Amino acid sequence: MAVAAVPAGGIAGHIHPEPQGFVRRYVFSLDHKIIGIQYIITAFVFMVLAGLLAEVIRTQLLNANGGFVAPDTYNEVYSVHGSAMVWLVIIPVLTGGFGNLVFPLQIGARDVAFPWLNMLSFWIFPVAGLMLFSSFLMGAPTAGWMEYPPVSLQGAAGTSMWAAAIFLVGVSSTMTGINFVVTILKMRAPGMTFTRMPLFVWGQFATAPLLMIATTALAAALAALFIERQFGVPFFDPTKGGSPVMWQHMFWFYSHPAVYIMILPAFGIISEVLPTFSRKPIFGYKLIAFSSMAIALAGFMVWAHHMFTSGLAPFLQIPFMIITFVIGVPTGIKIFSWTATLWRGKIHYTTAMLFAIGFVGLFTLGGITGIFLAAIPFDLHVHGTYFIVGHIHYVLVGGSLMGVFAGMYYWFPKMSGRLLNETLGKLHFWLFFIGFNGTFIPMHWLGMLGMPREVATYDPQFTFWNRFESFSSYLMTFAILIFFVNVLWSIRNGKRSGPNPWGARTLEWQIPSPPNYYNFKHIPTIYGLPYDFSQPLPYKGLEEELTDSPPPVAAGAH
Amino acid sequence: MSVAAIGADGHDGVDQLYVETRELRLQGFLLFLVSDCVLFSSFIFAYLYLRNSGQGWPPPGIQRLDVGFAAWNSVVLFGSGATMHYALENFKHGNFIRYMWFLLATIVLGAGFLGGQAYEYNHLIFGEHVTWWGSGIFGASFFTLTGMHGMHVFFGVCYLTVLVLQSAAGVYTKGKYFGITAGTLYWHFVDVIWVVLFSIFYLI
Ligand code: HEM
Ligand SMILES: [Cu+2]
Repeated sequence: MAVAAVPAGGIAGHIHPEPQGFVRRYVFSLDHKIIGIQYIITAFVFMVLAGLLAEVIRTQLLNANGGFVAPDTYNEVYSVHGSAMVWLVIIPVLTGGFGNLVFPLQIGARDVAFPWLNMLSFWIFPVAGLMLFSSFLMGAPTAGWMEYPPVSLQGAAGTSMWAAAIFLVGVSSTMTGINFVVTILKMRAPGMTFTRMPLFVWGQFATAPLLMIATTALAAALAALFIERQFGVPFFDPTKGGSPVMWQHMFWFYSHPAVYIMILPAFGIISEVLPTFSRKPIFGYKLIAFSSMAIALAGFMVWAHHMFTSGLAPFLQIPFMIITFVIGVPTGIKIFSWTATLWRGKIHYTTAMLFAIGFVGLFTLGGITGIFLAAIPFDLHVHGTYFIVGHIHYVLVGGSLMGVFAGMYYWFPKMSGRLLNETLGKLHFWLFFIGFNGTFIPMHWLGMLGMPREVATYDPQFTFWNRFESFSSYLMTFAILIFFVNVLWSIRNGKRSGPNPWGARTLEWQIPSPPNYYNFKHIPTIYGLPYDFSQPLPYKGLEEELTDSPPPVAAGAH
Repeated sequence: MSVAAIGADGHDGVDQLYVETRELRLQGFLLFLVSDCVLFSSFIFAYLYLRNSGQGWPPPGIQRLDVGFAAWNSVVLFGSGATMHYALENFKHGNFIRYMWFLLATIVLGAGFLGGQAYEYNHLIFGEHVTWWGSGIFGASFFTLTGMHGMHVFFGVCYLTVLVLQSAAGVYTKGKYFGITAGTLYWHFVDVIWVVLFSIFYLI
């Protein structure tokens, strides 16, 4: 056995033996890597469902008077589309999915702090997802993903199902958040100080408290909505003294931080991919890390920028406007840092890199329209129009989802030991990029011309651009189809990647792909920064991780 | 990233435990309390918001809540906080018997508080016809918040009962008593929430 000596003051290595049997290994697994993959697969399944709903929307809008589905059905479709994309796709895939899969490896841990809780978090998620989609059977919610009362109080039974489902996803997110905070605080390898953590870990570290705190606030709102609908206890119904605006406060107090839950991990992904494929240390490491924390903190103080038309007192609106402008600053700092990382880099145009560069461009556009929206006079004009739909898709699809794709191309070898096909990948990127812009750019001017969102028909003068958007969206769907084909094909036939196909410097690449069950035979000690491209590979002292000898101590089961 | 020297040669490295240690659990539990606190805060915010948007409080047709009784009941709850504190201290110092007595006292006081709350609910519902759903935002916010708190006390009492049984069976030892620490923290948390609820419902 390789190890006997345990350093003074240390604790003896204690690794549970790898569970045998399919169920313990792949279904009710405690291993953070498996759980991460489970999250990713589940989220992609929900993405297919929610994507089909999106295509129902776009098909309806081919014609000014609609006609593909009934107007009531249309309302159900966009409400469930938005809810599912936010809570069942983007949030789980970025936190539970990539978070679980990658960051424990990056900090040199053997698992997250509470593996059992992690498993529980995961298993709540598909159940909640099925509940959300089952709301179609009893009359799905019709008031959009924000479910403003009083409409949401009048909706069919499915609205209560919606509230229960989102509540459950929230419980799952909260547990994930707690788990991640403790893991990052307590389980870093020796020498992995905060300023040596890879930026993906920083992204998760900024996100996890948001998951924990903001989500619980949403849980209260959802519980109140549920109680009001089921038992007639008045919170939001103005005829009984309740206040519909209070729902908006409670909802946005969660949902503005939630937009950072959806983007900070993606920032983290980009901050891994860009330096690796520019072969340069990231520019402004500390700026990026601390601006994530600043964004997370300030994110709690701007929620009312979603409510400029809800009749708040002006003396309240102005500070919200100003703080929202201020949040643009750390965001801008990041964009400059990424661009500066590319500057004079030795750029490798892999698919992951294309998605990362695409992210920087498209997210910037979304951020800029966000700053427009923060200006009250402009927002009064475009609130409730397609301009908002344009903004949110630039940040959530051009941002978060491009980040997810970059992460998939980057870490797929770590999950499976095989590379995704680059030719299909580039096809995927370009078709997606073109389709995406074609779908969402016209929404900006349609919105400024006054086309309202969440309505099943529109003024015939907007027909051309709507058809343009719909056909572009079909192209985008086709691109995603290529991605799925690529994944399914590459799992069996992809090129073997070896431990470190990209020559990356962070820890997860210094161990086999896929990693052993116990991640690290020996917990490494860290001496330097995460993007040190002048150091030759493999790192001295880590060679042994790549050999086939058994782990140091395999303690008995219990 | 410069990585080097690994536990293998007894250098700097420290292998981590795969199992959840006490320190991790403590931190996780504290974070759970933080998020629970956010849950209460949201409802408290909702209550204050609704209260300020109406015309006067209590709304027309509803009596002010009876401070006197609730104050006595609060004393019972705070007393249980004190006994719980002494329970933990005694356990730490190895006075097992006194620990058990203090724990039992905590349970009795906690149950007493719940009894008092039941009495108060009974009086409100059947005496003054104030209900959860039928009395506008007053009933909604009062019963939701105090009910939520009552549920917390109830779960606490159940948990402490389990602690008694476990302790009698010798589950906890001098070096390993996380369950008791968690119970104490939880109990104090519930107390603190009550301080806030008592002030905003009965005093202001
Ligand atoms: C510089 C950063 C940003 C600023 C200043 C900003 C500002 C705004 C403002 C003012 C609104 C309200 C518009 C209205 O309803 O009238 C809004 C809506 C929205 N933003 Fe942003 N935003 C920013 C970044 C983001 C990011 C990064 C995301 C998500 C990843 C995001 C997601 C959303 C969503 C989902 C909505 C709309 C919700 C709805 O009404 O359905 N935003 N943004
Ligand atoms: Cu916002």
